[in-house]
Amino acid sequence: MAEQPGAPFTAYIGALLEEKAEGYSRLSLKTDTRHADASGCVHPGVLTSVMDSVIGIGLSRLRGDDAREKHGPHATIGMSTSFYAQATPGDELVFEGRVIRLTDRVAFGEVETRRTADGEMIAKAHLTFAIPVGQGPSPDEGRRA
Amino acid sequence: MQYDEHTPSPFSTLIGAHPEEAGEGYARMSLVLEEKHTNPNGIVHGGVLTSLMDEVCGWAVMTVRGIEAMVQAPHATVDMNVSFLSGARPGDTIVVEGRALRVGRSVAFAEAEVRRGEDTLIAKGRFTFVIQGKRDG
Repeated sequence: MAEQPGAPFTAYIGALLEEKAEGYSRLSLKTDTRHADASGCVHPGVLTSVMDSVIGIGLSRLRGDDAREKHGPHATIGMSTSFYAQATPGDELVFEGRVIRLTDRVAFGEVETRRTADGEMIAKAHLTFAIPVGQGPSPDEGRRA
Repeated sequence: MQYDEHTPSPFSTLIGAHPEEAGEGYARMSLVLEEKHTNPNGIVHGGVLTSLMDEVCGWAVMTVRGIEAMVQAPHATVDMNVSFLSGARPGDTIVVEGRALRVGRSVAFAEAEVRRGEDTLIAKGRFTFVIQGKRDG
């Protein structure tokens, strides 16, 4: 059953957490006119906001509560996004992403945004996170999620 | 939809950002951060920053193209690259500035910076827009 995401901003937007696992999460959002940009399409910032959370959630599960409490939270330091098609307010979107690699300094993730109705790819992003020093395996032992 | 270069988009309004200034190829907005703008760690959510950077870049490009041209053929973000250098917390004021680097017939390029208060650079981004075909009617 879907639940509110832990990030206040992601919850404020209206996104729902559909599924989470180690290094993986899937969120959904039923867009409406509040999410529009100046031309009436869904604002790209809506997409990047939820995509950032997708990897953040998957990474939290991968690192584990103990590691985050002991060493501190991870933080997004880079995000590269391509927007392939525009969504229209009223569209339901699904955001699905995975942590690609976690080292003791950084983590990388990829996430896709698709329109639920027809599966069309709306956007894709690659994210880089900083990991607090002391957490995770050595760089040579980078884990795949 | 009514286009007005001093009216932020519905999503920027939802966020609570304020348009401050625009000129030829330049636009600036500000936001006083609240709890609703945070991630689970109590720091400003990266999406707040990317949203407002996209907004000011789109606005900066519009100041070059003109409102009428945008109404007839809107520009849409196709690529965004953002680095997050530092954070900000509820109570902080962030200032988001966008500059159009080049506005061509089919694409436009812009960059944005986010500062905490007056000085501290916390994010920087580069944006590419495609200028779409003219709308019918």
